[in-house]
Amino acid sequence: MSSEPHIFFSDVNERQGSFLRRTFLLGGGMALGTTALVARLAQLQIVKSEEYATLATNNQFNFRLVPPPRGLIKDRNGVVIAGNRPSFRVLVVRDETKDLDQTLDLLGQLLPDTLERRRTIIREVNAAPRFSPVPVKSDLSWEEFSKVNLHAAELPGVMADMNEARYYPFGGAYAHVIGYVAKVSDRDVKAIRDKGEQPPSILFNPGFRIGRQGIEKALDTDLRGVAGGKRVEVDARGRVVAEDAAGSRAAVQGSEVLLTLDNDVQNRALEVFGEESGSCVVMDVRNGDILAMVSSPSFDPNLFVSGVPSKVYRALADYERRPLLDKALGGTFAPGSTFKPIVGLAAMKRGWDPNRRVVCNGSFFLGRRFACLGRHGALDLRGAIKASCNVYFMTIATEFGPDAIAETARDMGFGQTFDIGLPGQKAGLVPDREWRRRNPVRGDGKWYPGETPSYGIGQGALNVNALQLAVYTARIANGQKSVTPRLIKSVGGVEQTAGTAFADLPYDPALLKVLRDGMEAVTDVGGTGFRNSQLGLGAVRMAGKTGTAQAQNYGAGSRKGAGRPWAQKDHNLFIAYAPTDNPRYAVSVIVQHGGLGGGTAGAPRAREVMKVALLKDPEIRARIEQAGFEAPEDAGAREAEARGEPVDALPTDIAAPPPEPTQ
Amino acid sequence: MTASALTRPGERDRISSKLAELDWRVIGLLCVLAGIGTAMLYSIAGGSWSPWAWKHLVRFCVLLVAMIGLAMVHPKWWFHAAYPLYGLLLFMVLLIEFTPMGYVAGGAKNWLNLGFIRIQPAEFVKIGLVLALARWYHGHTAQDARWSWKLIFPLGMIGVPFLLVAKQPDLGSAMVIGLTGAAVMFMAGLSWRVIAAAAAAAVAVIPPFVMFVMHDYQRNRVLTFLNPEADPSGAGYNIIQSKIALGSGGLLGKGYGLGSQSQLEFLPERHTDFIFSTVSEEFGFLGSFTVLACYLALILISLRIAALSHSHFGRISAAGMTAFLALFVLINGAMVMGLAPVVGVPMPLLSYGGSTMMTVMIGFGLILSTHVHRYVELPKGQGLF
Repeated sequence: MSSEPHIFFSDVNERQGSFLRRTFLLGGGMALGTTALVARLAQLQIVKSEEYATLATNNQFNFRLVPPPRGLIKDRNGVVIAGNRPSFRVLVVRDETKDLDQTLDLLGQLLPDTLERRRTIIREVNAAPRFSPVPVKSDLSWEEFSKVNLHAAELPGVMADMNEARYYPFGGAYAHVIGYVAKVSDRDVKAIRDKGEQPPSILFNPGFRIGRQGIEKALDTDLRGVAGGKRVEVDARGRVVAEDAAGSRAAVQGSEVLLTLDNDVQNRALEVFGEESGSCVVMDVRNGDILAMVSSPSFDPNLFVSGVPSKVYRALADYERRPLLDKALGGTFAPGSTFKPIVGLAAMKRGWDPNRRVVCNGSFFLGRRFACLGRHGALDLRGAIKASCNVYFMTIATEFGPDAIAETARDMGFGQTFDIGLPGQKAGLVPDREWRRRNPVRGDGKWYPGETPSYGIGQGALNVNALQLAVYTARIANGQKSVTPRLIKSVGGVEQTAGTAFADLPYDPALLKVLRDGMEAVTDVGGTGFRNSQLGLGAVRMAGKTGTAQAQNYGAGSRKGAGRPWAQKDHNLFIAYAPTDNPRYAVSVIVQHGGLGGGTAGAPRAREVMKVALLKDPEIRARIEQAGFEAPEDAGAREAEARGEPVDALPTDIAAPPPEPTQ
Repeated sequence: MTASALTRPGERDRISSKLAELDWRVIGLLCVLAGIGTAMLYSIAGGSWSPWAWKHLVRFCVLLVAMIGLAMVHPKWWFHAAYPLYGLLLFMVLLIEFTPMGYVAGGAKNWLNLGFIRIQPAEFVKIGLVLALARWYHGHTAQDARWSWKLIFPLGMIGVPFLLVAKQPDLGSAMVIGLTGAAVMFMAGLSWRVIAAAAAAAVAVIPPFVMFVMHDYQRNRVLTFLNPEADPSGAGYNIIQSKIALGSGGLLGKGYGLGSQSQLEFLPERHTDFIFSTVSEEFGFLGSFTVLACYLALILISLRIAALSHSHFGRISAAGMTAFLALFVLINGAMVMGLAPVVGVPMPLLSYGGSTMMTVMIGFGLILSTHVHRYVELPKGQGLF
């Protein structure tokens, strides 16, 4: 190195001067940049502070919905017929499991049946939103529940908890009236959206159930209640860190619904059907309260609450006796001979003298021969009802025509649905000339006289359901008022009075008395329903009318259908009211393919159900007990035995005395 | 000319007198910032020294001693070491790229596994670059620095590590390397016309670069920064959560240890890149303003140290290191406030992470050394270029 300076002074000056200027600029730039950051901080932290504070709170706190307990459904006496019970269940949170497959393998060792539904479970778990628990099995036994809890440490993302599940303590007895609840489906959500409403968020809660059928569906919003909320502090992964009691509100249970049904009558009504298919409705003739409404065979609605296995569902859906169909409201049948009093009433209204006699020699001719069940000889209206004579009613039907019959049929409750708060009612069909014009047969809209005789005995296009039959019976029994049925007694303590102010029937009560006289004769000695209509309650007697409806045309001479397959047998109907002297209750029974003669299949069932209804009525019970009448025996059976006739073989549970009323 | 440490006549090259010459304001500010960092890491861990706060504090203390040690090192050693150090670091970056010693973490291959230790050479390359550039400018005239063909050398020194690091791909580090180099060239006296031309070229080149050259995740980050709300649960999540943390802090903050965004882990990377958001959430505008003021003070003091140096090497290296530190602060600040894309640049001394802290402390060692030896004049032209 030389001692010469390496850098010239001017050069130093120039480099240094430039550097200092540039450094000054850079320092200024840094200060400017920092000022810009401070300005941004001021904007975020002072100007927009509140906005971001809200966002932070939204992050920090979550509002978890708590499903409300569903409102109870009770019978008229306060017996719970749809309630809630605690249920242990297992839930899986996908994002907390290490490996869903492995977790399900382990879970399958504890709960083997989850293996069967594995594919469904995986689909449901994967479809759920993040960190939202998906129930994989409900209704665990205590042993299963404790097993899952014991292995909780090895099963991350699996938890067991307790919730409330809908429970129907009487199983199938109310399956069609109350219906059932089920998981909320996409279709439910879509239905709400289609109505232009926003589905409440509680619908998406995994434990929530929606009313799917019957009362559960019709009064779903009342029964649902108000969801509670739990304000919880969560971390970024959605895990609950703490609970904020002050910010939480309790769930409000849904409204309690009281039905007019009577639990004892309802259960008995289902019981008497055994394996038979059919329906039964019991009505109070004074106020229209429905005491029982059953459809048989029934099914256990509890199966549907946690999701019915498809195998079970298929079995129910495929069974030819159609347990899933509500035959009381949704099944229509030709009323057969139970319709005959209507024809008589229609004739009397137009001046027919009920005492005028018509001679029955076994046949009625109008273009062709119509057979009668026997040769009844000369009969007045009462006698014709008692003997259920076809010739008599064909004669007056032909005389007054289909429009007169249709008018009376509608007055008595046919061809219409009733506002009882249940969907799925079928109006049936009351044919007349106008109807034929609108529904021509092969282009021919003319009502031919040859159709009228069948109409007169309740056959042909005529179609009614069991509720309509009960209403019709109640109106005859009431004798004055146009009674309409009521099923929902009160909702949330508010009495449902809609339709309880009845209009007068447009018929002279004296005419209805004639019909009642005829129906009393039916259950008296020599009547078509005598043998099986004896209540055995002394002076408290039952009046009724038998009916058989052709399920199909068998051809002349062979109507009984005995020995034929079940599906080809006649429908068997019976309508009744009691007590005869001061009518209180009306019953209608339809036994699908029950065979010929309402007296055989329909009447004994109506009798058993009626007995329970009467014995539960405190006034009537007092009357029976006052008469010192005890241990009622089947008077009809004794009478029949005395005459050497075989007593109808009935299911033993029908012949058994009614269960002791609980009141 | 003799190589005395303190070349003011009559003073001796003694450690004690050198220690007395240390700028204690710088050391004080470093301690304050590292202290805040430790406190925040303690808070984020839910009031616990582990896993971050304890290590952070220990690292800082060790590095503080090392920094003071480096401040005692005579600039001639820095000067001599400049090119070899730069070469060595570049070699390490090449090792990552072309040998199995490269180690992938967080989507980028930017760790070097030396068997006993894993380091991120990209961090240290910045120091080597600043030293190498300072040495080059020390030996060249103002005219060379303004505009001449010789600028190929500094451009190459910046360009090679920039491209290598960008290829890893570590966009944040590459950006800091490029911008630090640009700042050095600027301060060394690059012609304004060239600066204007380069700026114009950059504006023309950046959009096609973003669209065609960047990796998908990098492009997402850039596009997300422009509109974070478009993808709130994905790429925009970090920015949105950071802004919520900042904004909800308000003027005075939620209180130490009470920041819901950071405590409940809504804020991602809250112990590294987004630690400034935690400070802002828990201590509000006053807290974050204080931190930024500390950084600005450090930057201005360091620039003054650079300006006071008697050697061009000292000036350029100290100013380069300052620019490097300032870039970290400004980029990270802009990033957490939603003003810049999320590029993975930590906040020096606050963020948890050994490599960055080491780089920063070595940088301050160099700055303090420049201050202690501000009267030393280095000879020109010893070296390769």
